[in-house]
Amino acid sequence: MLNYLIKRLLWMIPMLIGISLISFFIMHLAPGDITASESSFNPKASEESRQKLRALYNLDKPLMTQYSLWLKRIVKLDFGNSFASHQRPVLWETKDAKGNITRGMIQDALPVTLMINLIGLLIIFALSIFLGVVSAVNQNRWPDRLITIIVFVGFAIPGFWLALLLMYWTGVSHSWLPISGLHSAGFEKMSHIAQYADLLKHLILPVSISSLGGLASISLYVRNGMLDILQQDFITTARAKGLPENKVIYGHALRNTLLPLITIIGLSIPGLIGGSVIGESIFAISGMGKLFFDAVLMRDFPVVMGILTIGSVLTLFGNLIADIGYAWADPRIRRGISN
Amino acid sequence: MHIRYLFILVFLLFGLVACSDKKESVNNYEGTFTSEKGGTLIDAMSGEPSNLISMIAGDSASSAISGNIFNKLIKYDKNLELAPELASQWIISNDQKTITFYLKKNLKWADGHDLTSDDVLFTWKLVTDEKTRTPYGSDYKLVDKAEALDPYTFRVNYKKAYAPALDSWASLQILPKHILKDEDINHTFFSRKPTGSSYYKLTQWINGEKLSLEASPSSVMGEPNINQLTSRFIPDTSSQFLELIADNIDLMNINPIQFARVIPSRPDLKNKLALYKELGNSYTYLGFNLKHSPFNDIRVRQAINYALDKQEVIDGVLLGLGEPIASPYKPGTRWSDQNLHPYSYDKNQALKLLHEAGFNDSNHDGILEKDGKPFSFEILTNQNKQREMTAVLIQRRLKDVGIDVKIRVIEWASFVNQFIKTGDFDAVILGWSLSLDPDQYNIWHSSQQKPGQFNFIGYNNKDVDQLLEAGRTELNPDKREKIYHAFSKILLNDSPVVYLYAGYGLTAMNKRIKGIDSPAPPAGISYNSYEWFIPSTLRRNEITP
Repeated sequence: MLNYLIKRLLWMIPMLIGISLISFFIMHLAPGDITASESSFNPKASEESRQKLRALYNLDKPLMTQYSLWLKRIVKLDFGNSFASHQRPVLWETKDAKGNITRGMIQDALPVTLMINLIGLLIIFALSIFLGVVSAVNQNRWPDRLITIIVFVGFAIPGFWLALLLMYWTGVSHSWLPISGLHSAGFEKMSHIAQYADLLKHLILPVSISSLGGLASISLYVRNGMLDILQQDFITTARAKGLPENKVIYGHALRNTLLPLITIIGLSIPGLIGGSVIGESIFAISGMGKLFFDAVLMRDFPVVMGILTIGSVLTLFGNLIADIGYAWADPRIRRGISN
Repeated sequence: MHIRYLFILVFLLFGLVACSDKKESVNNYEGTFTSEKGGTLIDAMSGEPSNLISMIAGDSASSAISGNIFNKLIKYDKNLELAPELASQWIISNDQKTITFYLKKNLKWADGHDLTSDDVLFTWKLVTDEKTRTPYGSDYKLVDKAEALDPYTFRVNYKKAYAPALDSWASLQILPKHILKDEDINHTFFSRKPTGSSYYKLTQWINGEKLSLEASPSSVMGEPNINQLTSRFIPDTSSQFLELIADNIDLMNINPIQFARVIPSRPDLKNKLALYKELGNSYTYLGFNLKHSPFNDIRVRQAINYALDKQEVIDGVLLGLGEPIASPYKPGTRWSDQNLHPYSYDKNQALKLLHEAGFNDSNHDGILEKDGKPFSFEILTNQNKQREMTAVLIQRRLKDVGIDVKIRVIEWASFVNQFIKTGDFDAVILGWSLSLDPDQYNIWHSSQQKPGQFNFIGYNNKDVDQLLEAGRTELNPDKREKIYHAFSKILLNDSPVVYLYAGYGLTAMNKRIKGIDSPAPPAGISYNSYEWFIPSTLRRNEITP
């Protein structure tokens, strides 16, 4: 088992270099660079000063040189500074000689995104498992049909449209929930409990909208898995020996249904740091989705590469965790690895 | 249990469309109010400022904020004429090569330090420094010698007279030497924690959320009426609009549909929102690649100009909220010649000119041909809804006269790099700013055609070159006016671009904000924002500190 782990971890190094190399070159295939942003199409900004900027950012060097410069920094965990005029650090805050702190871009964007996605993931899994089980147990009867219709409608509704309607209804027509943002005015002066309550109120809509789309796939997955299991011999055995139906379903069938979900959870890990551009724009939440999208549009290469690197590391670890988790939960897999 | 909640949720979703209106607020916005101090104005910004040092930033969000914090030597007044700001007066030498600025006495930075000509000189050195990451250095590098003669006198010497110099001094925000002298201007805390001299100082900036300014007691401009300005960063304009309706923000820029249709049709909104329109700072044009046949033929360009109905474009794209223009200058300012008129819509004249240029529909397929080749070209534009809609209207009008137009919409960076820089296009729909200074050398002079320069359409006219050169070295406004009127006339006749429209900037503002000049002067409504006020009876229930 230990050998297996070490082998997997070592494999990650060439994988990461390969991923970063490919992303770096694909990113540079897109035409333009930071100096071609729309605001720079300004007759007062001369071509020679744009050339000067290009030289300052090393954008005039050959691609291979640019890549090796980037690689040299990244092995020291130095993600560099953004090309945007604020020049903020990509990853984490820095402190200058006078003690002024400049916060990192990912540092600012990640916690919000992580929070929304974690809560969302929790809701999706809890609700999906419940809906999937109810569907499977009532296969082809009205609860099953209704749930299927609902989760598919939720999947098909455009999130931004629903978000705007809900914002109008809960925020403008009735002042139940705040419309956008994460904090009310005067948040700093609230008590701790009031701050949590305020944050929670602001999170209700964004989290609901981001969870709605995920319900369909996972609840159907649970439903079908459950149907498979319910037809197997050991369920018949359990029923035959007189176990109550509750125990059959939740004690025996559900536990086996959940096994494949471990893989899905593992694969969801990299998704945790990705946010929806549209959702974040509508709710005025400055998370990772908007950060990445803006960086791509601006050709802000250090930010794009920073996020891609973190994303690929998480993807590789997510896969590993899924495999380990699977082995831990299922003795059949465990035996396979040891051999 | 859970299922029941879900059912309720879903039914609510479908019932949403028929949602009811909220009860009206009791504020009475009408009546007369006298100006008073205090209160908070909250606005919404689509983008977050990136750097409050304006010589480095270059985005509009940054300059909107830094304009409230920093001062310039001189400024544009409500009629877009130059006026004193930090300098009480400026004197131009007889040979027009030397400008001397006399600063006001007792100027202070927000931290109490004196603001002197030393700070001005320091700022000039910064903007011309090779190491400074600014795209705007070139105007200031033309200064041969800059000196601070005494604490109140700043003098600049140019090798040869340079008329846009005054405009450049009306846009350079003066920075404090005592704070920045040991800082690396490219990476400094100052870009997010500035100390200025103008009406407001920065009190709070939460990344991705909001930014607050507070009236600065030592402002060199006097005390503004509104005590606090808060800008919330809301990228989506629909969300901004919801916040405006819900009374959470006081003003935002709106689009023509909201201005002309949504707000007027809803009494509750009409009651609490005031609408303002002002001429924006840019115009949209159809530009031809003058190096490509047949656009090198003036008759073809004029024919297309006659074939396009500009009012139709303004009505269709902007719901009438724009103006046709006949020169690249803002109507209402001295540079715009009132005697010039846009090409009228005249299909017959267009056809006549096209026939003269050798185009005939010889095979009767509805498309004109010359030497057996049909007249067909492609209009490129970037992803901008208004420009896309404009392109469709142009396509239709040109089909009327027998020209086949294809439209292609391209992402901005690709657009600039693969088409504009390489000159690989027939025609483009783009915008230029209606610059405050009339000098447009970079856009129209024949020497400015290299890749990356701005005369990418390849316009080449000796008379225009001469006028542009003359206008650059003449600092007397009256003489300049004549030069640029002559230039505008040639440009209109040559028709290297078809001026389509100059759109209005549209603002919706909660009626609790008073003291706004309407109708807007050429400089727009915000020129006197320091005089706006919020009567205490109309203020929000603000949480007191």
